[in-house]
Amino acid sequence: MSHGIYLTDGPIRRPQPVGNPLLRKIQRSCRLSLPEPDLALNLDVADYINEKQGPAPRDAVIAIVKLINSRDTHTALFALALLDVLVKNCGYPLHLQISRKEFLNELVKRFPEHPPMRYSKVQRLVLTAIEEWYQTICKHSSYKEDMGYIRDMHRLLKYKGYIFPKINDSDMAVLRPVDQLKTPSEIQKEQEVAQSAKLEELIRRGRPEDLREANKLMKVMAGFKEDNAREAKQTILTELNKLKRKADLLNEMLSSSENPDLRNETISELHGALKGAQPKFQGIIEEEHEDDELVQDLLKFNDTVNQLLEKIDLLKVGDSGAASQIRPSNIASPPPTTGGALATEINLIDFDDEPAENGNSSNQPTTASGPQSDPVTDLLGDLNDLSSSSGQSTQNFGLGGSIQLGSSQPAPPVTSNATSHSNSNLDFLGNISSQSTSSGHLPKQSDSGLDLFGDFQVPSGKVLVHQSNHIKIQGSFVRYSDQTIRCQFFFSNVSVSMIQGFTHLVAVPKNLKLRLLPQTGSTLGGFVNEGVTQEAYIDGISAAAEDAIKMKWKVTYNVDGKSAEETAVFTLPKM
Amino acid sequence: MGNSVSRALGKLFGSREMKILMLGLDNAGKTTILYKLKLNKIRTSAPTVGFNVETVSYKNVKFNMWDVGGQERLRPLWRHYFPATTALIFVIDSHDKERLREAKEELYAIISEKEMENVILLVWANKQDLKGALKPQEVSDYLQLGLNLKNQLWCVVGSNALTGQGLVEGLSWISNNTPKK
Repeated sequence: MSHGIYLTDGPIRRPQPVGNPLLRKIQRSCRLSLPEPDLALNLDVADYINEKQGPAPRDAVIAIVKLINSRDTHTALFALALLDVLVKNCGYPLHLQISRKEFLNELVKRFPEHPPMRYSKVQRLVLTAIEEWYQTICKHSSYKEDMGYIRDMHRLLKYKGYIFPKINDSDMAVLRPVDQLKTPSEIQKEQEVAQSAKLEELIRRGRPEDLREANKLMKVMAGFKEDNAREAKQTILTELNKLKRKADLLNEMLSSSENPDLRNETISELHGALKGAQPKFQGIIEEEHEDDELVQDLLKFNDTVNQLLEKIDLLKVGDSGAASQIRPSNIASPPPTTGGALATEINLIDFDDEPAENGNSSNQPTTASGPQSDPVTDLLGDLNDLSSSSGQSTQNFGLGGSIQLGSSQPAPPVTSNATSHSNSNLDFLGNISSQSTSSGHLPKQSDSGLDLFGDFQVPSGKVLVHQSNHIKIQGSFVRYSDQTIRCQFFFSNVSVSMIQGFTHLVAVPKNLKLRLLPQTGSTLGGFVNEGVTQEAYIDGISAAAEDAIKMKWKVTYNVDGKSAEETAVFTLPKM
Repeated sequence: MGNSVSRALGKLFGSREMKILMLGLDNAGKTTILYKLKLNKIRTSAPTVGFNVETVSYKNVKFNMWDVGGQERLRPLWRHYFPATTALIFVIDSHDKERLREAKEELYAIISEKEMENVILLVWANKQDLKGALKPQEVSDYLQLGLNLKNQLWCVVGSNALTGQGLVEGLSWISNNTPKK
């Protein structure tokens, strides 16, 4: 009686189906009125499951397999499409559910004992799905030991004579594990989700062996958070190393020829991997900021990645000349090995040659005579990766020893034309200096305004460190704090020729710590007085220390088309 | 098959099975209660890391009792035990007045979960043997369950795990207040 058609006070709407929202969503994406599987609706289900977790993956899978077995082919196909989307988007919690024995038995419920002459469409898709899982999550998942029943079902079907269709690679690629750099919290989050899913499944099954495992798992989840954190870190390091190898490979490919083919699949893949990983660096650095070594390593790597990306950009616009200037150093080799291997290649600081070196430097205040203190000799080991490249190519200096070399090139990592480097705010200071102070040195060049810095901040006099036919190095050394000495180096050109690609490196004994700030430039015009300056701090010197501090320095530059190199040991004046 | 037959027979004779989740702060006495019920013995136990599960039969009812450790770092894991729970038993150390507030907070956090909407709640005000322990009525007043619980049935029972006082009363309250399917 009340079921006739009539208007009520309420708004007109279709009767709301009862049941939980998940089942409603599943029904909606498999309903008959859809012309084809709706990816948006399917993804909506996946999002819902990912958000809710708990019993959601299980409920979804149970509902879907029921639909797969429905008599209506249309619904079954839609349900299979939905299942496919879920497997690919919901990760381990769902994989755990499809690898349940009950589910798999249900999935092949409508398969006859002996394979039919021709598979129905549903059967073919079910076989495809099982084969796909068998090829991917059973082999690559980090928890593949939990997927045993999928393997068993695969074997059983094969034994019964069913033939699995071939899976194309693109479908499998989605389910392969992605080599992706993740921040520690992301990794832990993933672990937590997986462990929670596993724990709930074990509790649900409730067999004695499951409960035993659940107890074990619970201990892991509750008690050994540190374990997880350590594992997460290990994962990061592994991924980082993979990325570094990729960076090196890309670097090699880009440098191997003048005009590398950017459409090359490998190059674009490597490019993509690096570009994708870069945003993660910051996250990792933020979360792991107390791990100095990792942070330094990452920063260094980040520089390299920046250079590579820049290089590709330059190549894209066809500027192969500028691109070839960018030569990032290889970084994949792990820090402990670089020290020895690379340092021997580079005879940067060779104490034995010193007398000869001193010969052409007339009034050098080095007191390098007498027995060399051993720590200084050890410097070599720490100065890894000091490949003294000629041009303005940027270098990443090895980090990680007690001696840290900052990049002694101008601050931006990519300098394709260093000559045009006028640091605007320093110029500004230069102008002020010429107005306000009439200090001894007349500013010949705008960048000599840096003198102001020197004069202003370093009242004590400058000491001549070194003078040769081309360059003069002066330094001023003041005690900055109880433990720290502040050094400032001033580089002048005493010849008529232009000096380019000027690089200054410093090393101190191992028990001290050096912080070398970037030098202000790498070019010195003819007779430019103190055209380049550089600041450094040496930490770990107590005021009471008796011994004079020795430091080793080296400069390399290009003059008159030739490259030159000068090096010596310098003993700091008493303070 | 055999399973379903026995279940059908069980229905005929009115025997039931239910999942009972026993939670509470650490050192409230959950594990002691569980083994008192199961073995009628006092087993001194180390703090539970993980959980214990035992089946306790009382009259025609099989209680699958899950006792999950109550240490702070285990509490976030409690929610994994929520699905399919018929009754929640929350055990309170009536003598530990300083942590009563903490216990109350944990209890409300549990019963406000969606999965626990339809459970019935039994609170065991445990350790009644100790001098200066709060009476069940006092615990009940402090928890203000009547004020805050709309859907769930609840009950506070004083208990003493050492003598077993209050334990059977609690279980029979549960079995009397769950629908006989």
